[in-house]
Amino acid sequence: MAFNILVVDDSATMRMVIKKTVEISGVPVGHFFEAAHGKEALEILDNNWIDVLLSDINMPVMNGIELLAEIKNDENLKRIPVIFITTVASDARMEEARRMGVAGYVTKPFQPEVIRGVLYKVLEDAYQQKVEVPTQSVAQEKDDDLDF
Amino acid sequence: MDDQFRSLVYRACSAVFETMFFLFPEPIDEIPGAGRRGAFAPNGAHIRASITCHGSSSGSFKFFIPRLLAVHITTNFLGVSEQDINEEQILDTAKETVNMVVGSLLGKIDPTGATKLQIPEATMLDNFSVTEVLKEKGLFLFNTDFGPLCLVYTQQ
Repeated sequence: MAFNILVVDDSATMRMVIKKTVEISGVPVGHFFEAAHGKEALEILDNNWIDVLLSDINMPVMNGIELLAEIKNDENLKRIPVIFITTVASDARMEEARRMGVAGYVTKPFQPEVIRGVLYKVLEDAYQQKVEVPTQSVAQEKDDDLDF
Repeated sequence: MDDQFRSLVYRACSAVFETMFFLFPEPIDEIPGAGRRGAFAPNGAHIRASITCHGSSSGSFKFFIPRLLAVHITTNFLGVSEQDINEEQILDTAKETVNMVVGSLLGKIDPTGATKLQIPEATMLDNFSVTEVLKEKGLFLFNTDFGPLCLVYTQQ
């Protein structure tokens, strides 16, 4: 099964980094969608099937907490697991997010392995199926293919 | 500004640069005197990246990043070569840098989460002189292979 992934972050550069991190993690990706804030994300969610959403918290227009609340209040969207990838790492903020139903939490700065670990766990929990973890990452495979 | 706060700022900054950009900035704790001025000689094009926070720990943080360093961290961050990046990505990386440093700092000094981070901003400065900020009380200095990195904290 390939997963449709939506990344929400007001930094285009961070979205690109997260996309690359997901790609090298080996998670099978169907379509990759991007939004710069919560409102834009809701428009994408209205028109596309999304399997997992990775979102920043601190964003203009609509922040990640507001986006999570919208998703959890919508019968059609509340099934979608949401992972926060954010600099906001206070215990209180994480507890608030957990109460609201966030599926995972990654704090910036992050190691790619952390996103990979959280993403696999969330996908397995949400879809009740084993997500095949490659024995080596895609990046390693690419390195191995190089002849010197 | 107490020693513990200084230490937390240095640690937050080092963690971001090491984890995201594979760079190891060297904190310079003493206020630079004339004898150390040589270490801070490179002036010229810089990026100013700033963010403010409001709540129990209100203040503003301004990074002054030499352009050479900004280019280097952007290429490392994106995993691409220098000719593949643009000005917008350099500014964006600078904004994300100040956002990550201050966000992780707040996680340590304000566990209640009462302090809210604003949206970061970044600007190109064609002619910035490091000496402009040397007298700032909330000055944090780092030595890097790509020039001195300055962070100025102003409590509000």
